[in-house]
Amino acid sequence: MTNKDSSRNKIKTRLFWITIILITWEIMAKSGAFPEAIFPSLLDIARALGDSVVSGEILLQTGFSLVLILEGFLISLLAAILMSSLAVSNKVFNGLVDTLTAIAHPLPGIALLPLIIIWFGTGTLSIIVIIVHSVIWPMILNIMTGFRAISPVYKEAGLNFGLNHFRIIKDIMIPASLPYVLSGMRIGWARAWRALISAEMIFGAVGLKGGLGWYIFKQRVFMDTPGMFAGLFVIVLIGIIVEDYVFAAFEERTVKKWGMI
Amino acid sequence: MKVKVIVSILVFLFFGFTLAGCSTVGKVREEKLQIRIAEQYGLAYAPVQIMKEKKLIEKYLPEIEITWRQLGNTAAIREAMLAGELDVGFMAIPPFLIGWDKGMEWKIACGLSSSPVGLVVNKDNIKSIQDFTPEDRIALPQPGSVQHILLSLASEKLWGDPSRLDNLLVTLGHPDGMNALLAQREVSAHFTTPPYLFKELENPGMHQILDGREAMGEEFTFIVGVTTAELYQDQPKVYDAFLRALEEAVNFMDKNPVETVDILAEAYQIEQEELLKYLEHPDMAYSLEVKGVMKFADFMQKNDYIKREPANLEEVLWDRNDK
Amino acid sequence: MGNDLKDEEDNFRDRAVTIRLRSVSKYYQSSQATLRVLDNIDLDIYQGEILAILGPSGCGKTTLLRQIAGFDHRESGSLLMDGQEIVKPEVKRIMIFQDFNQLFPWKTVIQNVVYPLQVNSIGESDAANNEIALQYLKLVELSGFEDSYPHQLSGGMKQKAAMARALTLKPKVLLMDEPFGSLDALTRISLQNLLLKVWRETGVTIVFVTHDIQEAVILSDRIAVMGRGTVGIKKVIPNLLDRPRVVGVAGYAEIYGYVYSLMDINSER
Ligand SMILES: Nc1ncnc2c1ncn2[C@@H]1O[C@H](COP(=O)(O)OP(=O)(O)O)[C@@H](O)[C@H]1O
Ligand SMILES: [Mg+2]
Repeated sequence: MTNKDSSRNKIKTRLFWITIILITWEIMAKSGAFPEAIFPSLLDIARALGDSVVSGEILLQTGFSLVLILEGFLISLLAAILMSSLAVSNKVFNGLVDTLTAIAHPLPGIALLPLIIIWFGTGTLSIIVIIVHSVIWPMILNIMTGFRAISPVYKEAGLNFGLNHFRIIKDIMIPASLPYVLSGMRIGWARAWRALISAEMIFGAVGLKGGLGWYIFKQRVFMDTPGMFAGLFVIVLIGIIVEDYVFAAFEERTVKKWGMI
Repeated sequence: MKVKVIVSILVFLFFGFTLAGCSTVGKVREEKLQIRIAEQYGLAYAPVQIMKEKKLIEKYLPEIEITWRQLGNTAAIREAMLAGELDVGFMAIPPFLIGWDKGMEWKIACGLSSSPVGLVVNKDNIKSIQDFTPEDRIALPQPGSVQHILLSLASEKLWGDPSRLDNLLVTLGHPDGMNALLAQREVSAHFTTPPYLFKELENPGMHQILDGREAMGEEFTFIVGVTTAELYQDQPKVYDAFLRALEEAVNFMDKNPVETVDILAEAYQIEQEELLKYLEHPDMAYSLEVKGVMKFADFMQKNDYIKREPANLEEVLWDRNDK
Repeated sequence: MGNDLKDEEDNFRDRAVTIRLRSVSKYYQSSQATLRVLDNIDLDIYQGEILAILGPSGCGKTTLLRQIAGFDHRESGSLLMDGQEIVKPEVKRIMIFQDFNQLFPWKTVIQNVVYPLQVNSIGESDAANNEIALQYLKLVELSGFEDSYPHQLSGGMKQKAAMARALTLKPKVLLMDEPFGSLDALTRISLQNLLLKVWRETGVTIVFVTHDIQEAVILSDRIAVMGRGTVGIKKVIPNLLDRPRVVGVAGYAEIYGYVYSLMDINSER
């Protein structure tokens, strides 16, 4: 019960501050202290958002971005689980994964962009590569930390029941490290989203329409500041939905329900 | 509890208005002899480089304080000028018009250069823009750039539909665009300027299917110098010194080709011979004259890139004698 | 009295040996020294008995039990179960750990109990496995908690569920490492009684590690006393008190006193 109360309280506090921010915003926009191109009024932003929703543009582009990010995210998740599993199974592979992670983790995807263009071109493949690069390393780091943190009792109980190595990983190590996998997913999501938006802003339209980053970039080059804010609004909205509803709900149904965190 | 909430709101509002206040204070800046210019690399900006290296503005106004800022692209320069951080920027006519259309208080002060602009393709079977298929991708710096508008002009001429090729566009900076073109993957065309244009054409299998003048149907100034109303109106001495310095730089390039090449080769890190070849290209010209503004404006307004069109050139060009 | 016990040990002579340890040695290597935790241990475990392994903390009880389970490598010696060398953990010897958190937290109680059955494809169907699991949950008196998650159970209930999970595979030997060590006194007594009931009904052999003399006396048929430090098994004492036993029944004091004297408790630094 207290849990629900505190979440309701959180929403209340947020709504309160959002209202204050919006009011201040509007007062400043209307005060004329800034040119409209710097500080558009809320009405203009809402109109820009409305227009692009009606024309379907922003929806299409958001959808395009979301599909890309989901693809990249799933690939990374599976690859990270596979690589971490191999790493705990084999010393040689462990060294390899450790080295690769140490090299690649600190590299921002955007820094790799020129190289990625040469190797993979400027299509959706390149965007996926950047997303995978952004997600997979923090994911592996988290999963490996999770694997190391598992109480040996779980594995020994599994061995005692006659589990083979594969099933120890699949049935015990992965669920047992789920809290770590989840926090890896959170970090990965944030990084993937950032990488995607920046890549789209640099690459421009890949595919027919291009994604949300492209949308914002287009508003920028045509100096449509309200439109830019409309794009940012969509990004914030998706961020909140994913964090508060997707991840939080998943956590509620798994690790929280199981008393693991 | 109530008190706390009210106090936090007040603090928040206070910061908000301080911020607003700052920018208002910035507006009534007293006349200080200073100028802030965006520095850009590329052959089309050569006179700016000469002006900087030869300290020509200082020559006309010795006590001036000059700030050279380096910014990534036209959009960033425009945003910096909008924010009041820059007085002078150099860019192509279409991005200038977009800013003007959005109410930015700025006008063209002068022309700077005309330059070859070309659409290079890496496929033999593409002989004109008619031959692009939906699988082809055309790289150019950004939508709303002069390359984009030129391509739209060509499309309109051919099909009566300026946005016909818009779905094929990929936005890439010049170096990345060149890499992508030479990699021969999905990017099959690149709309670009020297030195990238020349470098690309040196590669086997690359050929040019469209040039700027052909698309435009007339000669036009590629890069213009744009200044804020603030500089023009509040600091006429500085504005004047800037224009005179630029003029001298153009003349200097004409009269001292050897020293020019020395300075530019050093600044752009290009071989002297190569540079000379670029500078001597017949389409590469430097002049303060401004050509093509009304044609761009007309086309861009008709096709919704901008909402209003200047009634005459004076609306977008500072008059040198009206102060 | 010493003689009496000696005679009574003869009662076990002709019982079948399930597990036989001969000269088992297990060392732990640290940077400075080698810790000889188990040094040439001999021990027989008879079929169907409850053998208590009793000793102070750090004397090597867990190490010994893990050897019997087959979890760890050993330096030397032989460890036979029904004539076969023990080299790895097997379902015929199931370990119940001291740690309350040995059930998988992401599975409900029934899922935990069913899991070993599924792994070993015991029942014909999931429904059959479920039936078996329910039976064992009933045996350990945990009916009604099938769908709870482990974190919702008390420590005692967790250990009951662990017993049910261990028993489903019908192991010949249960290895229990101070399973009730962290429970409050009342719960511990009730779980001891439950364990005895389970033992009677299933006939499973139990090796029960404890540091509690009373627990050893109440539960076991024999008590292997390990000494302070790593001196190995000092003596194996038969414990023939009549069952059911409670503290203070006839003979309780004698055997308690005898074990107590063997543990040289007062020599503690
Ligand atoms: N993995 C290990 N590495 C090194 N020393 C250990 C290890 N496990 C146990 N020991 C040492 O071996 C001795 C016996 O431990 P243990 O068998 O756990 O004792 P008990 O279960 O009787 O309390 C202790 O001194 C302990 O510190
Ligand atoms: Mg122990």
